[in-house]
Amino acid sequence: MPLDTSAYSLALLRVDGRRWNELRRIHAQIRTQAAADGSSYLEIGHTKVMCVVTGPSEPGSRRGAIGSTGGGVGGGAVGGGAAQSKGAEVAVSIVIAGFSSVDRKRTARGDKRILELQSTISNALAASLHTHLFPHSAINISLHVLSQDGSLLAALINAATLACVDAGIPMTDYVAACTAGSTSTYAANDEAADPLLDLNHQEEQELPGLTVATLGGSDRVAVLVCESRVQVSRLEGMLAVGVDGCKQVREILDRVVREKGRRMVQEGTVEKGVGLNDMDVD
Amino acid sequence: MPVTILAPKAVRVGYGANPDHSDSEDSGSDPEGDVSMGLKRAAAGRKAAASGGSGSKYEIVTPGEVITDDPQWMRGHGTYVAPATTSIISSVAGTVTRTNKLLSVRPLRARYTPEVGDLVVGRIVEVQAKRWRVDVGSTQLASLPLSAINLPGGILRKRTETDELQIRTFFAEGDLLVAEVQQLFADGGAVLHTRSLKYGKLRNGVFVAVSGMGGGGGVVRSRRQVWTLESANGGGPVDIVLGVNGYVWISKHVETPEGLVDKTSGITNIEESVSATMYSSQNDRIGPETMREIGRIRGVVTALVDNGLRVDEDMVMRGYHEAVEMAMTSGEGPEDIYLGGERGEQLAAALTAV
Amino acid sequence: MASTQHVLLSPAELAYLHAALSLTPPIRPDGRAPAQFRPLVAETGILPGTNGSARICFADGTEAIVGVKAEVERTRLVDGATAGTEWKEGGSARGEGEDDDGGDKAGDSDWVELTVEIPGYRDDDAGTAFLAAMLSEALLADGAFAKRLWINRRFHWKLYLDVLLISPPLSYPLPLLSLTTHLALLATRLPRLKSEGDEDPFFDDDWAAARHLFPRSSSSTTKESARPPVTLLVMAVGNNIIFDPAKEELAVADVALAVSVAEDTTAAATTAATMDLDDAAAPAARSLRLLSIRTIDPPSRLTPPGVPNAANSAYGATTAQKQPEARTAEAEAVEGVWRAPRGGAKPLVMAALVQKVLEKGGVADEILDALDAVDLG
Repeated sequence: MPLDTSAYSLALLRVDGRRWNELRRIHAQIRTQAAADGSSYLEIGHTKVMCVVTGPSEPGSRRGAIGSTGGGVGGGAVGGGAAQSKGAEVAVSIVIAGFSSVDRKRTARGDKRILELQSTISNALAASLHTHLFPHSAINISLHVLSQDGSLLAALINAATLACVDAGIPMTDYVAACTAGSTSTYAANDEAADPLLDLNHQEEQELPGLTVATLGGSDRVAVLVCESRVQVSRLEGMLAVGVDGCKQVREILDRVVREKGRRMVQEGTVEKGVGLNDMDVD
Repeated sequence: MPVTILAPKAVRVGYGANPDHSDSEDSGSDPEGDVSMGLKRAAAGRKAAASGGSGSKYEIVTPGEVITDDPQWMRGHGTYVAPATTSIISSVAGTVTRTNKLLSVRPLRARYTPEVGDLVVGRIVEVQAKRWRVDVGSTQLASLPLSAINLPGGILRKRTETDELQIRTFFAEGDLLVAEVQQLFADGGAVLHTRSLKYGKLRNGVFVAVSGMGGGGGVVRSRRQVWTLESANGGGPVDIVLGVNGYVWISKHVETPEGLVDKTSGITNIEESVSATMYSSQNDRIGPETMREIGRIRGVVTALVDNGLRVDEDMVMRGYHEAVEMAMTSGEGPEDIYLGGERGEQLAAALTAV
Repeated sequence: MASTQHVLLSPAELAYLHAALSLTPPIRPDGRAPAQFRPLVAETGILPGTNGSARICFADGTEAIVGVKAEVERTRLVDGATAGTEWKEGGSARGEGEDDDGGDKAGDSDWVELTVEIPGYRDDDAGTAFLAAMLSEALLADGAFAKRLWINRRFHWKLYLDVLLISPPLSYPLPLLSLTTHLALLATRLPRLKSEGDEDPFFDDDWAAARHLFPRSSSSTTKESARPPVTLLVMAVGNNIIFDPAKEELAVADVALAVSVAEDTTAAATTAATMDLDDAAAPAARSLRLLSIRTIDPPSRLTPPGVPNAANSAYGATTAQKQPEARTAEAEAVEGVWRAPRGGAKPLVMAALVQKVLEKGGVADEILDALDAVDLG
């Protein structure tokens, strides 16, 4: 039990040495794959995911990238009809490697959990990407899970956001995600339980938790997924902690992108732009 | 050495307090400088971030960042206006550009977006009833209507049903052509035309795709996109076509076939004879020296892209002369045309040093 | 077995490439020598949660990751004979159809499970299934691999190899996946056994004490292959043999083959290959064994032919061409006009190809040496 031991109430430290409001170590990189339009690699603690984005491009020509689950397009705004959409279609495919969890497990094709993850991510990104600029095209997002240690959906959303930024797809803001939980289980019915930020695998299994994603650093929630039982009085606290965590995540993602951009400007790959400060009136 | 295996380039962590321990993921074909310099730069970057706040030192903006609140600016590509305010917010990660009162953000990397008048190299992917669909490396396929091509022999006539039935005799799937963007649809799709002698089907050469358009490396719009260079080592004249969309074509100079040129021909006859060869898919005989030089130029273009330099006529010419010299001084003489990996980096270093 | 991607090229480009590759020496599009490989980036140990892992990126942007996990499994006893009692020298051959002792045969191929995931393709797609079959066949071919997984008579290691192709398949992924699998296996370590005999196995918790699946020691007293096999993609145009073909080179191939080789350390081979253990300076002469050759349908067969000028109605030829003339015109090869290759591989070419791969100092040697040199950190 991660937190039922007396250690928590004494030192308020979790099993991995974090306090209640500390994120795990986040490491991210963009442009990890030169051949793709956009790519990224993200680690939250031991959860490692890679993302490759193709597009926007002609739909149908990249049909192969839509889902290893055969047939089902992961969410997106298009209904079953053949009519061209008014905006780009966001298709997500997730591959969870057999070696990603401690026990080797082969995920079945058409696994409901994967389909749901795909749909959630597709809707989350479609809310932020300016898909109306690319009618009659498709954006294909391919995610690979290399290692799992909790906060999987959050890591996938963050990686997909970074890859879309790398691909130069216009968007309203970053979609930053993280998880939040509560220090005691539902059964304990502890009204005063503290919320926790960024759950690892062990905590996710035993404690109630939710995944939340916001649009940039604002309070606008794009994704909220809670699959565990929790008293509604604790929910607000968890959500507040989660939204705050998303702000921090957004800062980290932003730093990664800026660093990459700076390097590209310095190396002359990209021309310098106009300074933000000298926007004088002519 | 026939097999080179490289270790992945270590990533310099220039942000936060996170030490870089076990993950040395490769950063793709990033033009990374050497490690110690990078650390200094990273430190400088961190200082700049600390003082400048929004990274204004390098004018990088990221999605969601407010560029300005001043209502007198107009917004261009890569930006949007938040509803109910006058602030212009960036929607991509890139650099800010300003033309008169127009503010736009050029992304660090994006697919090619067609503009009217661009010279592009494209590949036919679909043949429809009265037009072809052409892949130009953009977000959508471009269209080439049947009425927008020159008929062989310089004939001027209305296109009939026979033409539609024989549409594949002009261009079939897989054919490469050079064309100009005539107009754009409302949704950004391009309409091409080949109504000039210098456009048409391509043959006698090789194709290279240069990715990363839109600000980062890649082919830039410059004064001259098509030219002929006189190659070294007995290769003869070589045509180079740099499509603005990043598709490049390098070929042996296509001569007019002797059999069709009348000695006493006037201007119209030349047009007719030249355009008769327009839709041929038969290559002329090409000697090994020419093939070697074509291969060398292709290597130059790829090396420029891999090392983050821009690709235009000037760079390609300088790169080519440099490559010829490098081959001379290397062991194998003019037969050595390999410019990948380290040789390419050497070439790029020689060009940037000048 | 057409498991190659269709590459879209115009007939003029195909004719040019074919002509360039038919020269002596062949001029490859990127200027490489016929036996020169593109530079690749390789690293191991990227996934600490696995027993072994590797990642390789080719120069064209394709990337693959392989993770190896091992779990202890109870050995099935077959027909009263206790499994693992008799181990024939040289090991048992592949599981299909060969007569051999009781449980060893079923145990061998069952103890290794290899799955391949390619983005956008279902795992029961023909192409994916063939890739998985080819990779695992090469691994189990000499029958000695499974011996490394033996713990005691009641238990063995079950090895799971998960091969992930990260990038969309731009070119035929077999060589990339094979090299990555090879590297991952070299880096795989199994915990050191502390129990003895046939009791329930328990292991040393210290990961530093874990031993490699393919130990690096140069002691050649072990009779198993010292290295896992590697599969190369080779193609031929005319009489030229070309290694590590790019996708546009494959599109004009007359014949393409997947060749699997491994080190041969059987008794006869070790005496033949003069290995001098005391002389550290001399590189150990490695004798290689051909495990399999598989033909691959090159995408060139699916390409549309070019039209010679004489028959090109857009070129001015009349469209009213008689049928028999048109047919004969197609049958002859016109210079400069692309025609899909017909027929199979010439036996002389195949023999020369195999020779090139297996000879001392040849391509397979270079690859195995280069992979050896990768830091298994």
